[in-house]
Amino acid sequence: MNRIRLVVNGREREIEVEACKLLVHAVREDVGLTGTHVGCLTGDCGACTVLVDGASVKSCSVLAVQADGAEITTIEGVAGDDELHPVQRAFWDEFGFQCGYCLPGMLLTARELLDRMPDPDDDAIVQAINGNLCRCTGYGSILRSIRCAATRMAASGEPAEEAS
Amino acid sequence: MTVTTSGKAGVRAIGSPVRKADGPALLTGRGRFLDDYSLPGTRHAVVVRSELAHARIVDVDVRAAAASPGVVLVLTGEEAAAHAGPIPHFIEPAARGGRHADVRCLATGKVVYAGEPVAAVVAGTRREAEAAAALVRVEYERLPHVLDADAALEQDAPRLYEEWPDNVILHNHYGTGDVDAALAGADLVVSDTIRISRTTTAPIEPRGYLASWDDLDGTLTVYGSLQNPHQLRWMLATSLGLDETAIRVITARVGGSFGLKMQGHPEETLVCLLSKLTGAPVKWIEDRRECFMAGAREQVHRFTIGAMRDGRIVAVRDRIVANTGAVSAQAGWAMPNMSATTLASGYTVPNVRAELHVVVTNKPPLNAARGFGKDSAHFVMERMVDLVARGLGADPAEVRRKNFIPPDRFPYRTATGLNIDSGDYPGLLDKALRVLDYDALRLRQAELRAAGRHLGIGLAFELTPESADGPGSFVSGFDVTTVRMTMTGGVTVYTGVTSPGGGNDTGIAQIVSDELGVPLSWITVVQGDTERCPSGFGNFSGRSMVVGGGSAALAARDVRAKLAVVGARMLDVPVDEVKVADGRLRATGDGRSVPVPEVAAAVLTRAFAIANDVEPVLEATRAYKPGNIDHVPDERGRIQPYPTYSNCLHAAVVEVDPETGVTKLVDFVMAHDCGVIINPALVEGQAHGAIVMGLGAALSERLTYDADGRLTSDRFKTYLMPRAGDLPTIRLEHQVTPSPFTMYGNKGAGEAGVGGAQAAVANAVEDALAPFGVTVREVPLSPPAVLALIDEARTR
Amino acid sequence: MITKNFAYHAPADLHGVVTALSAASGTAVVLGGGTMLVPDMTHGKTVADVVVDLSRAGLSGITLDGGGGPHDGPVADDGVSDGRVADGRVADGRVADGRVADGGVVVVGATTTYAHVLSDPRSRTLAPLLRRVAGGVTGGPQIRNKGTIGGSACYANPSSEVPAALVALGARLRLASAGGTREVAAGDFFTGAFATARRPGEVLAAIALPAPTGPCPGYTKLKLNESSWPIATAACVPGPDGALRVALGAVAATPLLVTLDPPEAGVADPAWRAHVREVVDAALAEPWSDVLADGDYRRRVAPVVAVRAVADALQQAEGES
Repeated sequence: MNRIRLVVNGREREIEVEACKLLVHAVREDVGLTGTHVGCLTGDCGACTVLVDGASVKSCSVLAVQADGAEITTIEGVAGDDELHPVQRAFWDEFGFQCGYCLPGMLLTARELLDRMPDPDDDAIVQAINGNLCRCTGYGSILRSIRCAATRMAASGEPAEEAS
Repeated sequence: MTVTTSGKAGVRAIGSPVRKADGPALLTGRGRFLDDYSLPGTRHAVVVRSELAHARIVDVDVRAAAASPGVVLVLTGEEAAAHAGPIPHFIEPAARGGRHADVRCLATGKVVYAGEPVAAVVAGTRREAEAAAALVRVEYERLPHVLDADAALEQDAPRLYEEWPDNVILHNHYGTGDVDAALAGADLVVSDTIRISRTTTAPIEPRGYLASWDDLDGTLTVYGSLQNPHQLRWMLATSLGLDETAIRVITARVGGSFGLKMQGHPEETLVCLLSKLTGAPVKWIEDRRECFMAGAREQVHRFTIGAMRDGRIVAVRDRIVANTGAVSAQAGWAMPNMSATTLASGYTVPNVRAELHVVVTNKPPLNAARGFGKDSAHFVMERMVDLVARGLGADPAEVRRKNFIPPDRFPYRTATGLNIDSGDYPGLLDKALRVLDYDALRLRQAELRAAGRHLGIGLAFELTPESADGPGSFVSGFDVTTVRMTMTGGVTVYTGVTSPGGGNDTGIAQIVSDELGVPLSWITVVQGDTERCPSGFGNFSGRSMVVGGGSAALAARDVRAKLAVVGARMLDVPVDEVKVADGRLRATGDGRSVPVPEVAAAVLTRAFAIANDVEPVLEATRAYKPGNIDHVPDERGRIQPYPTYSNCLHAAVVEVDPETGVTKLVDFVMAHDCGVIINPALVEGQAHGAIVMGLGAALSERLTYDADGRLTSDRFKTYLMPRAGDLPTIRLEHQVTPSPFTMYGNKGAGEAGVGGAQAAVANAVEDALAPFGVTVREVPLSPPAVLALIDEARTR
Repeated sequence: MITKNFAYHAPADLHGVVTALSAASGTAVVLGGGTMLVPDMTHGKTVADVVVDLSRAGLSGITLDGGGGPHDGPVADDGVSDGRVADGRVADGRVADGRVADGGVVVVGATTTYAHVLSDPRSRTLAPLLRRVAGGVTGGPQIRNKGTIGGSACYANPSSEVPAALVALGARLRLASAGGTREVAAGDFFTGAFATARRPGEVLAAIALPAPTGPCPGYTKLKLNESSWPIATAACVPGPDGALRVALGAVAATPLLVTLDPPEAGVADPAWRAHVREVVDAALAEPWSDVLADGDYRRRVAPVVAVRAVADALQQAEGES
C-alpha cells in the first residue's frame, strides 16, 4: 500500500492505494467522488477526464500513485459552492448533454480550454473535445455550449479561475 | 446549490425548449449511474467467456480460480442450470412463425459464439474477480463454425442448433402486388446487391447490474442500467422461478442505450443468481470489450426495382439475408423483420415483395439498436431510388418527388401493410433543397468536377414507424402514468416509460405542467421502478412521448378535474367557470383565484366539508392507447403495428479524395417531421445523435472478427465512432404535420436519422465519384472500401 | 483493472532511474506518459513486477545544445556522459536563415509531452516537425498533456507517427543504463513492430535532433477518421543537395526512409509521381496490416502521402524564401 496525498477540489485528502490502482478508481472508490466515469479503460473515450494540476488527463491512463501531491479537479469541483460555473450553465442552456455520462470529460476539457484561451475559435473548441466521445448529442450542442460559455464569460469579464 | 427553475408564468410548457430536469445533478457529477450504487457487502462478478465460436464444452476446471484470493464463488453453466431455467425471449421467435432456441445465463453443453458466457466468478473486489477469472480453464472440443449468413444457408453448413433443420430462425414473405408482371412492363429494371455491415450502439456507459437477494424474506432487488424494468422483472421471475411480486427492478440513471439495454441479456439472470447463491449483493459492470459484442444491422439485400420512363417506380423485389448471430433472448433477432416491413418506405410503389431469411451464425447475437431494422430498409430503398434516377438520367430529387405518397392520400396503406398516418413529404424535400441551395450546389459541383475535385450530393428520405405494438408480446403500444398531488401542491408523476438520457422526463413534466396548470418546478417525474411506477413498458420505438406523454396528460386531467370541482366551490362559481393555470385556480368571470395548494389541502383535509361527496384522492392512473394500431389481419393478411410515422429528408454533401478514398463530410441537412413537438430542443438533440450514429455507420463504424469468429474491433481505436472533428455543422429544419392518431398530434422522435444518414452519405459518395462510374454496394464507406469501388469501376 | 500489483518507483533524477532499473527483480517497465502502458497493463497486455516512473526525474524540456541557444532546466546529462557523435550533427554547416547556429543539437528530454512541445515557443524554430506532429495527435488535449515523444518512440507502435518523424529528422536516441550512455540513430532504433534497440535496463533519456537548418519539413498524415490511428504518414526533409528525404510512417512495421528526386516539373508531373510510386513501392517490402487497413491499402496510399509531404515541404520552403 502507498499512502498518497491529493488535493481534490480544494480539499486535502490522504488515501492508501496499491501501486496498480488507476487514478479513476482511486477518485471513485477511495476519495468517493463518483461523478468521474469509466467508459473504456483504454484512454479513448474521455469520460474519466479530471484535471491534474490544471491539465486535463484521462484518469484511466494514470496510476493513482503518480498523482501523489497533485491538485485534482473533478466534475464535482467545477461548480462554486452555491452556483454553477458558466461552463455548466451553458451546457444546461444549450443542451450540451443528454445522458450525461460523457459530461466529466466535456466539462473539464472545456474548462481547461477556456482557462487557457478565453476566446477560442471553432477549431480550437473542436480540438479541445476531440478526445471525448459522446454518443447522444452528435457534438453540435456541445460545441455551441462551449462557445456560449466563452461569450458569456467574456461579456461578464469573469475569468474562469475566479468562478471556480 | 441554487438553480434557476425553468418555465415562465403564462407560457405554455408544451412546445418550449425547456432545459433538462436532470441538468443540476448531471452537471455537478451527482447523477447516480449503476456503478455509483453501492450496497453494504457488495461483491463483484466477472464473466468468463468462450474463446471459441463453436465448441463442445468438455470440462470447466474452476479449482485454481476458486482458490484465488478473495473468491467467493465460481459458477459453471451446469451448476447455473440447476438453479435457473432458460431466459424467456423478449420477442419469442416461435410465436412469429420462427424457431425457438433456449438461452441460458451460462452456456451448457456447447458454446455458439466467441464471447458467450461459460462461467462466472464472484469475489470481494473486481480486481480479485478479474484475476480469478483468468484462472478458469475451459476444455473445448472445437466444432466447425460459420460466420457468414449466406454460408450458413448452405445445405452442409455447420449447424448451431442441432434440433433445427437448418440455420434459419425466421423465413418470411412480405408485401403485395404482382411484382413479376410490373417488372416485365417496366421501362427500366435495375438489380444489384447491397451489404450493410455489422455495427453497434456503443453508449459511453456500458451495461451493468447490481442484484441483492434477501434471504430472510425471499425477495430480490435489482438495480440496472436498463430500459425496460417491468419486462425484466417478468423475465427474471421466469428464469429464476420466482414470483414477479418478489422482485423489484430499479433503473439507475442510464448513460445512453440506443436499444442495447433492452432486456434479454444473460448477465441479467446471472447476476441475480450469483446474489442468490452467495447471499450478498453482487455487481457486474460490463467492460468496453464486452460491450462491443452487441451487434446490429448486418444484412445483405439482393434487389430488383422497376420504373417507368417518367420516373414512376412500379415494383420492388428484395431478397434479404440477415445475419443475426447466435440466438439471444434479446429482441435483436426481430429487427430484420422491420427492414422487410418498412420497404418501399414513403413511396407509392404498388408492387412490393420481400423475402427474408433471418439466419443464425457463430457471431455474437444481434441486439436491439436505434432504428430497429427500419434504418436498413431506408438505406436500401434510397439506394434503389438513386439507381433509378441514374438509370433514367433524372435528378434524384425529382424521382423522389414523383414517387412520394401525396399529402392528400393519408392515411395511406403501403404494399406491406403499414398504415401511414400523415405527412407532407414533398414539403420536406422542398425545405431540404432550399436550405441546401440545391441548384447552386449542383453548379458548384460541376465547377469543382472540372477542376478535378469530387463533390457529391446525396438525398435520402426516411420513414420511421414509431411507438410499436407487437401482439402477444411486451412490445406494447400503450403505457401508463400516475399523477399524484400532495396536500401542499407538489406533483409526482410516476410513469411506465423510462429515459435512457434523451430527456423524456422533462417532456412529460411539460405536459403535466400544462394539463394540470401548475409550474414545472412543482413537478417531479419518477421512472424505472417496478415498485413505484405503474406497470408499463419502458423505452423503445420512439414511444415515450406518444404513450408516456399521452397517459400523463390523461392522468393530469383527472386530477385537475377534481381540483376544479373543489376549487369552484371555494370560489363559489360553477365548475365550468374555473380554469387552472400557473398554480392557481381562477374564476373565468371575475378573475378571483385560489392557489392550487389550498385547493389540494381542501380536498385532502376537508373531505367531509367543502370536499364532501368528492372522492378524496388527488391521484389518477391512466393508460393511453393511440389510434391506428390494428392487429386484425386485412384481406391480404397484413397487420398494422404502428400508430404514427415520423419522416424526414436528409441531404449530405461530401468531398471524396479519390487518391486515398477519404470522404469528408462537407454539409448535412435534415428536414424533419415528427408532428407536434413537445420540446424542440430535445427533439433536435435526438435527431442530431441519430444522424451522427448513421454517419458513423456510413463511413467508419464496423464490427470485425477474425477467421475464428473472435472480435477484433474491441476498442474505440478499432471501432471508429465519429468525433467532433469528423462532422460538419448539421442543420435541422422542422415541419409539423400533426398525427391524427395521437394525443397531441406528436409522432415518435429518436430513431430517425440512423438510416437516412447512411443512405444520404452513400448516395453522395456515389454522386461524387460519378466520373468514375462507381456503384456503392456497401457501408461503411471507409477509405479502403472507397478505393476498392473506384478500382472495381475502372476494371469493369 | 490492473490485476497484478507491482513495485513502483518514481526516482528524482536519471541516476535514480537507471539505478532502479538495474536493481529491479523480475520484469521492469519504464513509465513515461502512461497513455499506452497503463491501458496495456489494465488489459493484461503488459505484466510488470516493477514500474519505474520517469515523471519526477526531470527529463522534460527542449534545449539547444552546442548551438548557443537557450537552455532551460535539467536535461539528460545528470550523471550520464554525453555520447554525442559526429553524425548526430547537422551535415551541412551553414547557418540556416539566421535562426539556429551552425551544428547545434536540439535535445528533447524523454518525458517532454506533446503539450510541452506545443506550448514551448522554441519548438517553432527548434523542432517544427515535432510541433506539427504533436498538434495532430489523436486523443485530444488529455493525451497531449500526458503522452510523450520519448514514450511514443519507445512504444514503437507501427501506427504511431513519432518514429517516422524521428527518422526523417535524423534523430539520435540517448539510452542510459547503469553501464553508461549510448546513442542510437533513429533509423537503427526501430527494429520491428513494438520493438526497439533499447535493451533491458536501459531508459531513453533524451532525443537529440540536428538543429534545423532549412525550412520546416513537409508533413502529411492520413487517418480513417478522427478516432483512428494514423494509417500512413510522411515527413519530407529537403536536403542541401536538393534530394528529398521522406520518412514514411505507419505503412510498415518500422519507419521507411526513401530519397526522392525533386519534382522538376512540379508535384503534379505524372512522370515524377511514377518515380515516387516506384521508389516507395520498392522500399515497401512488407506493408503493415491491421484491423483498420490492410497492407494493400497502405501500399496504395504510401506514395500518395509521400507526394503530399513533398508538396507541403516545397510550399513551406517557398513561403519562407
